[in-house]
Amino acid sequence: MPNSSQSPAPEAQAHEPRVVAFLCKWCSSAGSDLAGVSRIQYSANATPITIPCTGSMSPLYVLSAFNKGADGVLVSGCHPGDCHYMEGNYLARRKLYLVKQLLQFVGLEAERFRMSWVSAAEGAKFAEVIDEFVGDLRPLGPQTRLKAKH
Amino acid sequence: MVNVDALRGYAADLLEKGQVRAVIGYRRGTAGVLAQPCTIDEAGEAETLVWDPTCLNNLARYLVEDRQQQAAAQTRNKTPDGRPVAIVAKGCDSRAVAVLLQENYLKREDVVIIGVSCEGSGVIDPRKLAARPEGRWASRVDFAGADAFKVTVGGDETLIPARDLLADRCLECRAAAPALNDVLFGEVVTERGLDEPFRAVKAAQGATEDARWATWEHHFDRCLRCFACRAVCPMCYCPECVVDSTTFVNTPGTTAEEKATRIRWCERSASVSESALYHLTRAIHLAGRCIDCGECERVCPVNIPLRLLNTKLEMEAFEQFQYEAGRDFGQASLLSSFRDEDPNSFIR
Ligand code: SF4
Ligand code: SF4
Repeated sequence: MPNSSQSPAPEAQAHEPRVVAFLCKWCSSAGSDLAGVSRIQYSANATPITIPCTGSMSPLYVLSAFNKGADGVLVSGCHPGDCHYMEGNYLARRKLYLVKQLLQFVGLEAERFRMSWVSAAEGAKFAEVIDEFVGDLRPLGPQTRLKAKH
Repeated sequence: MVNVDALRGYAADLLEKGQVRAVIGYRRGTAGVLAQPCTIDEAGEAETLVWDPTCLNNLARYLVEDRQQQAAAQTRNKTPDGRPVAIVAKGCDSRAVAVLLQENYLKREDVVIIGVSCEGSGVIDPRKLAARPEGRWASRVDFAGADAFKVTVGGDETLIPARDLLADRCLECRAAAPALNDVLFGEVVTERGLDEPFRAVKAAQGATEDARWATWEHHFDRCLRCFACRAVCPMCYCPECVVDSTTFVNTPGTTAEEKATRIRWCERSASVSESALYHLTRAIHLAGRCIDCGECERVCPVNIPLRLLNTKLEMEAFEQFQYEAGRDFGQASLLSSFRDEDPNSFIR
């Protein structure tokens, strides 16, 4: 197996990270809307996918996004105590903590998977979270470890 | 000491009285030193049951197979025999049964657990035995206290330190006797100065990120996708597996459009990315369910250290959530429960 992942390719600097962002429809998705209507400038690197609740996140969504070439995956939901379904975010926190640990264990760069709590009122925080994430991903270059080669 | 004659007598009695449909246990194997799984349904056959350090298999898998057969019989309008099945269970096997009960896959009254203690040691790793000069020709391995195994080669008996032959998971085992049982043969031993729990995982995660990936990329690249690891696991009982659909298979009649629009989470090609997807998905689907019987790793034809993936998550479950798979079949499952103090600092 040619090992393409040891050092970032020379063109890594030019690589624009692609982020898949799974956003809870009750909070973070509305938060991203607020960032938009408030005309906050932030990185345009994230592709949002609205989900009914972070509790509905299957670990397979994360793995599949990396498999299809995502450079980073973000899951964002309601702050503890604020879940529309009372406990979905608590269940997600446990499940995705394990996903993060597992990805790190096999050696995916730790920065590539991230979680955040962003409420519908936190448009500015949403913009910050995305900017920060993209900033941390940029030096890593393209994600090649879990990406399908076909 | 486990009194094997008493165990045979107990099994014969259950069958004689018609209290169970069958007994799943171990008998002498026909090829080499290892015992093999067997199902007996007549009291006279109970004589063939054995218990020694070569009883490697996790027999809970056969409870799963049995339930699937019972269900199939029902769909053929046959009334299945509703009596329970008895199973000879080591510590790890009994924890597997506990998980099956917890998940309502089995009912408590459907299974009689004949517990056997591992005598303070455990079962052997056949690869460790084969690597030794006497190992290749060994005809028997017996318990000889907690610290040694008695290996019989021809007419000679040698004592080998238990530590040298024990399966890795047995070295790390925290409870080498079945807590869940209907009857227990042998003593409950809790003090075992063998290896600290999760030692192998801790060593593996000490490597750098790049080194860890290099290792796993190598393993994922070697995986044949034979699915032996899935087939042997008592917890992998889904009739439909997300990585390898049995419902949506391509047939000569499948149109190109159907093929193109069908959701495939994972391709069947045995490439690094697809095998990674398979193994990571399997690991996470076993989080809080894997009882570390080590069977997946034992049956892998290319020796992928699969235990590491599962025990990594069991270690996190234990350390962060104080959760142990199979500890108690009444407990809420790892992923269907939470506590306010669960880790939160990794979230922005
Ligand atoms: S048994 Fe080994 S080779 Fe077969 S699918 Fe599992 S890991 Fe891959
Ligand atoms: S994942 Fe492996 S060690 Fe865990 S229960 Fe299944 S077969 Fe046993």
